[in-house]
Amino acid sequence: MLLNREHSGKRWHLRPDGIPKVTGQLQYLTDMTLPGMLHGRVLRSTYPYARILSIDTTKAEAMEGVYAVLTSKDVPGLNRFGIATPDQPVFCDDVVRYVGDALAAVAADSPERAALALDAIQVEYEEFTPLDSTDAALAPGAPELHPHGPGNVLHRTEIKRGNVEQAFAACEHIVTETYYTPRQMHAYMETEGGLFVPDDEGRLNVYAATQHGYKDRMQLARIIGCPEEDIRVVSSPIGGSFGGKDELNVQPYGALLALTSRRPVKMHNSRKESVRAGLKRHPMKIEMQTGISREGIIQAHRVRITADTGAYATLGAPVLNFCTEHCLGPYSIPNVDVEGVSVYTNNGLSGEFRGFGGNQAIFAVEGQMDRLAEIMNMDPWEFRRRNMRGKADPGPLNQRILATDGLSQVWEAMDRSELWQKHQHPTANPSLPPWIKRGVGAAIAMHGAGLGYGIPDPAGGRLSLNAEGKIEVAFSYEEFGQGLIATLEIMLCDLFQCSTSDLSIIIGDTDRVPHSGSSTASRSTTMAWMALQRLQTPFRSRVLAVASVLSGIPADELVTGPGGVWREGQLPSDVMAAKPTEQMTVGQVTGTSLVDALETSSLSVDKTMTSGFVIAYTELVSQGTAEEWVFDTHFDYPTTPDHVVGGHYLYTYAAVAAEVEVNTLTGEAKLLDTRHVVAAGPVINPMGFIGQIEGGSVMALGFTLTEDAVMQDSRYLTTNLDTYLIPTIRDIHTNLEVEAIEDLPEGDPFGPRGIGEIGSVALAPAITAAIHQATGVWVNRLPVPREQLVQSLHVPLQEGVSPS
Amino acid sequence: MSKPLGKTWSAVVNGEEKQLNIAQTTRLVDVLRTHLNLTGTKVSCEVGRCGACMVLMDGEPVNSCLVMAYQCEGREITTIEGLHGEQEGSLHPIQQAFVEEGGFQCGYCTPGMVIATKALLDHHPQPTQEQIETGLCGNLCRCTGYGGIIRAVCKASESCGDSTIASTDDGRNERMTAVQQD
Repeated sequence: MLLNREHSGKRWHLRPDGIPKVTGQLQYLTDMTLPGMLHGRVLRSTYPYARILSIDTTKAEAMEGVYAVLTSKDVPGLNRFGIATPDQPVFCDDVVRYVGDALAAVAADSPERAALALDAIQVEYEEFTPLDSTDAALAPGAPELHPHGPGNVLHRTEIKRGNVEQAFAACEHIVTETYYTPRQMHAYMETEGGLFVPDDEGRLNVYAATQHGYKDRMQLARIIGCPEEDIRVVSSPIGGSFGGKDELNVQPYGALLALTSRRPVKMHNSRKESVRAGLKRHPMKIEMQTGISREGIIQAHRVRITADTGAYATLGAPVLNFCTEHCLGPYSIPNVDVEGVSVYTNNGLSGEFRGFGGNQAIFAVEGQMDRLAEIMNMDPWEFRRRNMRGKADPGPLNQRILATDGLSQVWEAMDRSELWQKHQHPTANPSLPPWIKRGVGAAIAMHGAGLGYGIPDPAGGRLSLNAEGKIEVAFSYEEFGQGLIATLEIMLCDLFQCSTSDLSIIIGDTDRVPHSGSSTASRSTTMAWMALQRLQTPFRSRVLAVASVLSGIPADELVTGPGGVWREGQLPSDVMAAKPTEQMTVGQVTGTSLVDALETSSLSVDKTMTSGFVIAYTELVSQGTAEEWVFDTHFDYPTTPDHVVGGHYLYTYAAVAAEVEVNTLTGEAKLLDTRHVVAAGPVINPMGFIGQIEGGSVMALGFTLTEDAVMQDSRYLTTNLDTYLIPTIRDIHTNLEVEAIEDLPEGDPFGPRGIGEIGSVALAPAITAAIHQATGVWVNRLPVPREQLVQSLHVPLQEGVSPS
Repeated sequence: MSKPLGKTWSAVVNGEEKQLNIAQTTRLVDVLRTHLNLTGTKVSCEVGRCGACMVLMDGEPVNSCLVMAYQCEGREITTIEGLHGEQEGSLHPIQQAFVEEGGFQCGYCTPGMVIATKALLDHHPQPTQEQIETGLCGNLCRCTGYGGIIRAVCKASESCGDSTIASTDDGRNERMTAVQQD
């Protein structure tokens, strides 16, 4: 189904956070203030790589208005953090390894005084030559950045199957290419920050964005040396994250400064500090060699991945695992030899970012497919079809995965599309000047969701009827803009036929939500759906049983509905369906879901007027104890049953086609028509779905054409959004269509699949394939170097014709 | 905290006369967020690139991170909090359109984006694609990919009919057509 507002009908659900956001009333955590609060700042390293000889804070400590000056000696617990491997110092005390490394932090009564105090801290360094590339870091004799080597290797991966040497020897054609991808920045609009408030009971309240509040709480407790329960982490709403706020950033400093000064402390990174200290996407070099038989069937695939993980681990190892898994694409390949290495350097900090290593891998493997198809003189889509994995084939790591038709469905849908037909039958456009060239390219991908086998990936949730008679759900997920709260509303209204005013949705607060895992890896929607599937039956049974006792009507004649329990078949929506004239009321309420419309219609104004209404939720909840109305569930994200670390079980499938226009005088490439076909199960929230794919697509456009956090000698040259170029409204596609394939196998227990990442992973190879059709140039480096697309005109310039 | 050096600054903010004792070099974004507690105006790049801090000064859009107090002395400032529909407390049609079309996700760019749209539609009630792009290219959004924003702007402009689209080339025309079909 082509996804848009018109086709969505009543499922076009207005977000409950919409009005607070468009009016500026929504208070982000970085908007919070308290009387008497202090302003925290962090002193970061002058050099990308140096030994610390001394840190002198005496001048800063003596300054007026300065309440705390902290260094490594002031960390009561573990002076390290890191989600997977805690190897990043809260405060460095011997060596600094990147320009974002922290040495000290101050809290003062004004931002100006905090800045002045930072300047007053004197640090003596012994500067070293930074390891500014993976080559430099892997060179024999290179200094080791961490003691846990060997060498500067964070992590290695490997997939070996069959006999690659033998297979290559028998191949008819072999394509060898090296692909390079950029250090992309998340560039969320709200930089890192928040408010840290110690309370009278000795607890610390942390109001700071993260993608996993419980993980932050665990890490902060480890740093502070206190029980986790002494910390409350409130982490939503969030002004964008995309993986970038998954790891701790300002939290250790805000927390320690607040505890030391015993006052609220506000932290809010400037953009420059955010660029300097924050995570980026791993720049990768991916060498690929792929061989095919005379018939165009892939026989052998050799891959070498080198990832620049920067100074500390964070999730560098899982990112490499994911990249390794995805560099085989959705293809059946008998002989495989993949080796990956993630390398410590002094280049910033690479970590988790939407797509999680898939973006780099898919750019490379899809580039191979197009090059091989060209050698075969074969249609690239047909070439892919011949090599695609079968429905029942094992996954990329030879692991069992859930069999669906998603791959063939997205392939077929794209094959039929008008846009792809344009590739196969390019028509010359005589109105275009000779230096304007157009082409169409496409790519296909499968993208794993969840953290994968062997990594704790807990899920769960709580459903209750709260004291106010609201149907309340609580999850440890976060709202960073994706529309989670709206999606939960839709799911609950679907399940209980209730209205949004019957709901209470609790997220992003460790004091109020159960541990249901992280909002990462495209997992939240699936996990919330699965949790509600488990919780709905016991919850409904209790509601209807109590309603039955109070009303004397048998429970099997009762259903949940707006405001309370109704007689089956007599819900307002049932009555409406029977009375077409009444539906006019609904139709007049544009953009509002049916249940909301009912709220405002005369039918629900006075429930007693409607014979079907039995009892209000508010009356029910007074029966029995509060605990009897609370239902919990715990489970894990589904993974492959095979012992393959990081191996996924659920995948989302996508095909992307792009038409690109290249100006060969300037080397500029512009994206025209774009089409995303996504097979991710039922679309719960069409507005959110479109938003994720459109937003992911434009983020991928930046990855492909303009974005690179350029470093020289391990220092950022692009320090703000004036030189780090994310797409503006002028730079995007001219048209973008999203086609959703909702089919799932009969009885599928996993529901809607993740779509948070799939829109961002396969556009780059589609664009570079289109560039090739337009210009004949194979691009192997992102962002696409314009110089490579500049061509001599081969036609004499005529009078009156000037380059546009 | 000692008193900042300064003198009385005054301006009309969202229709109300405001007087503050602040340094004349205080940035307008800090005047709004810190001194007037109007945190709907966001702060993001602080170099005038992203538009998150955009407000109207005498009806024209400015990045409030680049305006100092003395530069807006006596002016009329409108922030997102000052925008409303016919009645106070109701949504402005632009705000309504952003809600209905999903012209936002995380919402952090949204106040600036809505302000920029207000300025755009004040000048061009029925903007062309080119005018929308020019009017909003100073506002960065990282979440939506601008699709929902363009649909919201079209919805907000009084008429989105074909006749209003003065397209510059065929490609751009396609986007507008798609927008109108929604």
